[in-house]
Amino acid sequence: MTAPLLKVENLRIELTTRDGVAPVIDDLSFELGAGESISFVGESGCGKSMTALGIMGLLPEKVGRVASGSINFAGEELSTATEKRMREIRGNDISMIFQEPMTSLNPVYTVGEQIAEVLRAHQNLSKAAAWASAIELLDAVRIPNAQRRVSDYPFQMSGGQRQRVMIAIALACKPKILIADEPTTALDVTIQAQIFDLLNDMKRQTGAAIIMITHDMGAVAEMAERMIVMYAGRNAEQGPVEQIIERPRHPYSKGLIACVPHIMATLTEERRELTEVAGIVPSLREFGKNRCLFASRCNMVTQKCLDKRPPEVAFEGQQMSACWHAEAV
Amino acid sequence: MSDDPEVLLDVKDLTVRFGVKRGGLFGEPKYLYAVDDISFQIKRGKTLAIVGESGSGKTTAALAVARLVEAYKGTVDLDGTDFLTLEDEDLRQARAKMQFIFQDPYSSLNPRVRAEKIVREPLDNLESGAKEDRQQIVDKLFEAVGLHPEQQRLFPHQFSGGQRQRIGIARALATQPDLIICDEPVSALDVAVQAQILNLLRKLQTDFGLTFLFISHDLGVVQHMCDTIVVMYMGKVVEYADRLSLFNNPLHPYTVALLSAVPSVDKKRRAEMKRILIPGDPPDPLDLPKGCRFANRCPVAIERCKTEQPILNEVALGHQVACHLVDERAVSPLS
Repeated sequence: MTAPLLKVENLRIELTTRDGVAPVIDDLSFELGAGESISFVGESGCGKSMTALGIMGLLPEKVGRVASGSINFAGEELSTATEKRMREIRGNDISMIFQEPMTSLNPVYTVGEQIAEVLRAHQNLSKAAAWASAIELLDAVRIPNAQRRVSDYPFQMSGGQRQRVMIAIALACKPKILIADEPTTALDVTIQAQIFDLLNDMKRQTGAAIIMITHDMGAVAEMAERMIVMYAGRNAEQGPVEQIIERPRHPYSKGLIACVPHIMATLTEERRELTEVAGIVPSLREFGKNRCLFASRCNMVTQKCLDKRPPEVAFEGQQMSACWHAEAV
Repeated sequence: MSDDPEVLLDVKDLTVRFGVKRGGLFGEPKYLYAVDDISFQIKRGKTLAIVGESGSGKTTAALAVARLVEAYKGTVDLDGTDFLTLEDEDLRQARAKMQFIFQDPYSSLNPRVRAEKIVREPLDNLESGAKEDRQQIVDKLFEAVGLHPEQQRLFPHQFSGGQRQRIGIARALATQPDLIICDEPVSALDVAVQAQILNLLRKLQTDFGLTFLFISHDLGVVQHMCDTIVVMYMGKVVEYADRLSLFNNPLHPYTVALLSAVPSVDKKRRAEMKRILIPGDPPDPLDLPKGCRFANRCPVAIERCKTEQPILNEVALGHQVACHLVDERAVSPLS
């Protein structure tokens, strides 16, 4: 196997809160190959977005920091890179799109100006050339009548169109990695289908690797090859998407799949009660303790889970589960 | 009024319009028809869902049924009385029979009021029963929705999102309503917590014999919760069918596209389901086309669709659809 494009090893990100320092990411390792698509899955507060911000060097200043571990991108260490270097990497090599396309676009500039700005900053294009590229990019993300719409302000566009503009901005410099943080959560399902279709298309055309953050297992099944199930800042389970959906090896992944009423190929009269994952994600104070943090919500919990943090157990097909009872799940 | 004693809620020709702008000082006022002439019935103890995307009018329809927005025309018959014509004290008392659960458990609870008072307030407003009796009802409600008695003294910010939604549910149950309108009751919650609330709602439905009007954009949830489904698009009902007919044999091209767009973990469904991408966005609600409102995005639209508005037509038992291309054979034009 060739060297991965992105290699995160034993990453620990600490956040300073009123109650002290909490490890919001605790010993996380994963790899991303060129052109691959992976998904981070988990509930809010599990550290999915924090991991993405860590990779982008966008952790909240003075509050969050990479405490230890490494983020290696194409041979370069990002966790210690200077701010100047990170500015070059962001946009050029790694881009990100966010959940809320209204708040991530500037309301007082036209969408054309916002796309052109990226090209001028990163690729030193002339004003005219950047504008021409902006039109091409809008066309590429399938905004009808790009020639005219390029002069629109964000408020003149629908939610789906704004997210397309964000994708155009993110892909303007042909990055090697695109991080999509809940890109369709604010959108309707038919628009979501359009955006997924577009992302897959763009991935084929540009060869970019995609990291998609989501809580929707259906979306994961649709979009990703591998997934990382995160819980309380830790890796709960990693592996190929189909394999985990078929046979999860961590009670949390199992719960996440079973607690959602999915639409199946053929619907029957029968409606089972949904499997509940009781309780909620622990508070930051609990993070970093030497025990299984899922134990309080787990139906397989034993004394061992409360005494010691479970190690990652490997299964065939590069599936890994951090659970003392992984074999029995 | 409906003749069928089984029917609890009978909505007929409900229309809600909002005045939006005038063309100049003496110009004609313009109206946005958020809900345009919709009708549906819910039987006692059953659940009907209105599904649709943003702007379809599903929430406005629910608000109009509960008289939280004013209907322009139509009737809402609840257990034999037209809810829309009631006034003053009659309306106040009748509201006890129809309660609402809101989408956002953060903004729908007063942050300065303790949980017990939030739940008790509907009873206090109706001045029903002695004070001690009301407290007893509150105790029972806390237990029914799975909250501890000692949590009664807490303020909303001391609860998690799921627990707040439980408070909202307890409040809705306080007046022993027949009908509860659930407007996206789980959309603001994390997936694992969603299951807890959905299971709770179904349990309460059986225990208290409740009837639900369920508003949702999540077809997975709808499939799990509902007996009958109304699909809305741009203020109109495009399809109205029982659960199995709608999910196993969707007829309207919009419904077909909507269902095909839902990502699924089921390998078989992903393999069998042909995704139908509908291009573009819905039309401007102030400048609606003359014909079918879905025509500009419909993959199979014909000339007639652009000029003539289709009406809701019963093509199979309990299966109505508004599409020129669907007839009594009940075959979707997309299949």
